[in-house]
Amino acid sequence: MNEISLCVSSQTPLVRFLTDYDEIMKKRGLKGESLDISNFVEGEDYTFTAGGVTRMVFPLLKQMVSEGLLKDPHWVSLNSLAPETLTVDSITLKHVRIERERLSGYGQAKEVLWKAMHGIQKGPVNSLFWQEEFVDYTYYNRVCSEVITKLDEKNDFDLFYIHDFQQLPLGQMLHTLKPKIFRWHIPFDESLIPENWRQSLASYFNEYDLVIVSCKKYLESLKKFGYSGEAHYIYPYLDLSAYEKPRPEEVESFNKKFGLDRGDRVLLVVARMDPMKGQDRAIAAFAEVVKEYPNLKLVLVGNGSFSSSKQGLGLSKAERWLSELKELVRSLDLESRVVFAGHLTHAELQAAYERCELTILPSILEGFGLVVIESWLYKKPTIVSANAGISELIKYGENGLLFDPNDPPDLAEKISLLLSDQNLSLSLGENGYRASSQCSLAEGVKAEFGLMRELVGFEEPLGAVK
Amino acid sequence: MSLESLMLELAEFGAIILGTFVVAKIFSLVVRSVFRNWVPTVRSHIQKLVSVAVWVVGLVFAFQQLGVRLDFLLLILGLIGLGVLIAVKDTLANVGAKYFSDVYVPFKVGDIIKVAGSTGKVIEINPITTVLLTKKEELVSVPNSIFLREKLRNITPHVWREILVPITIDSKIDLPEFESEVLRACNKIRKYLDERFPPVLTVKSRNQKSVSLILTLMVKDPDKKSEIVEEINKKIFEIEHRMVQASQRK
Repeated sequence: MNEISLCVSSQTPLVRFLTDYDEIMKKRGLKGESLDISNFVEGEDYTFTAGGVTRMVFPLLKQMVSEGLLKDPHWVSLNSLAPETLTVDSITLKHVRIERERLSGYGQAKEVLWKAMHGIQKGPVNSLFWQEEFVDYTYYNRVCSEVITKLDEKNDFDLFYIHDFQQLPLGQMLHTLKPKIFRWHIPFDESLIPENWRQSLASYFNEYDLVIVSCKKYLESLKKFGYSGEAHYIYPYLDLSAYEKPRPEEVESFNKKFGLDRGDRVLLVVARMDPMKGQDRAIAAFAEVVKEYPNLKLVLVGNGSFSSSKQGLGLSKAERWLSELKELVRSLDLESRVVFAGHLTHAELQAAYERCELTILPSILEGFGLVVIESWLYKKPTIVSANAGISELIKYGENGLLFDPNDPPDLAEKISLLLSDQNLSLSLGENGYRASSQCSLAEGVKAEFGLMRELVGFEEPLGAVK
Repeated sequence: MSLESLMLELAEFGAIILGTFVVAKIFSLVVRSVFRNWVPTVRSHIQKLVSVAVWVVGLVFAFQQLGVRLDFLLLILGLIGLGVLIAVKDTLANVGAKYFSDVYVPFKVGDIIKVAGSTGKVIEINPITTVLLTKKEELVSVPNSIFLREKLRNITPHVWREILVPITIDSKIDLPEFESEVLRACNKIRKYLDERFPPVLTVKSRNQKSVSLILTLMVKDPDKKSEIVEEINKKIFEIEHRMVQASQRK
């Protein structure tokens, strides 16, 4: 059977070191640039980075290696405060280091591109191309391309798999005839793309052999945009077996940590701190509903992304948004009712899902929304923004409710409906649980490997993918 | 001949070869400096040509030192040269045309062109011919010399905007840093460029010694094309020179 030799590249690294990396090395008595993760302690030295890309790619690679479909995968990512090479479960992580000044420029440039893709960029996006920040953005991608080229000389990869909009230029930069896949993780709505950016954006896409997006509507939009190459959609996926029912004492500990009483009815929002995630919408709707349900509490889980972290790009977006939300909560006199839980460990997150009565995905725009799948795994009813990719898996009134994120009263109405109708809540949770299998790791591996194998021209391995 | 005089002649032969090496290197650097504003590919060919010429003269002198007759050597070289020229006359015309068309004829692989009664997409440019793929999926082979004789029409959409600048840099140069410098240089002439398209640097080939790149720029006004090319080539030469010196210092 042929195993694919794969090189993955994403901006976000799989692991993030928590404190000063040099100190960690000293504390553990370590030297050198090529280490195994077992040399470090999770939670104390490092943490696995939150977010859709790493939560999908890591289980995918692990599963494919265990099924004998991949051989010695490499994963290139941005991580200036980590060893150059780190192995995690037979995956070689290659960390790209960039000077802090360059990192800042890169971060600002990719923020402009991100805003442009979400239709909220003020001013023309193409003026970015002539700024120093774009020089840094190009520099970062070229450094990645050089690292990948060197790795390829040594490993002779069969395939390159590039993740997310930040790394779109890599397709054009990599000087190789070997196949290249690009996975677009954020929303793709061609009507939001500024006219003066369309042609150069299209030329980047055209450098790939295959483009994968997260849902049907993005695929349709990509085709409407004018991309004529091969494109598919694959729903993002999770390793469902990693989610367990928490023990009662874990739930109790969660209650205690966040000041939740036994009688409190808890609404849960799990999202990073970002205006696009629409936590303000959830707070506004909550302010309406709480008048009818005095024992209601809203728990907001999440902090900044890799881009906002000090170990990452150091952008202050998350902090700014958090203080805006706190100000909003203060102005609505909801301080005793809204909990800002910040980042939770996996065990705490499980307890949060178990403890809540319903979950809300209030995003103004959302690439997909894997938190809905997590919520379904705990049989919780969920109210989902109609602008999230996962909305196409929602059968209204059967496995969830949809709402317009620009209409908080609409969300308030739907929260009230679920709080007042226990039967509806139960059936949405049960049906959601069944629907969650569409986003299982097994489904993801099957779809991803099918496309990879086709691209590299390998025969179907007997019995490898069921 | 005594052993001593033989050793002396061999030493003189070695000294001339060494001297030739030094002179060839100096000439190469002088050419590089004199033609710094020229298209890099042309500059590199001139450097090679001058270097070969110096080596031919050096070798002739060196062998003369060993007692080989100069007139005999020149006659042999001349006859070989004439023979080769007659044998590959047509091929040389195409190869020569390829050399010039690389730099001065406005098309590249992927463009749609009309030439000598044929229309098609350029799918290959080899030293002898350029291969077109027609709409009927036929392959048309056009000898390169045709492009210097006949009128060519490049009908690729927006092709008039495009400037392709071939660049060859030493592989020791840090490519990401070089690219940053080139982008900064392009930013300085942005008022002449179509702002919708960022400058794009593409690796065309690389080996242990060098990296061949293409810089693609889109212009606002076709009248300015040659001035932009000249300006960019000048800047690239300066950047490359600075970075080579920096890498040597390291």
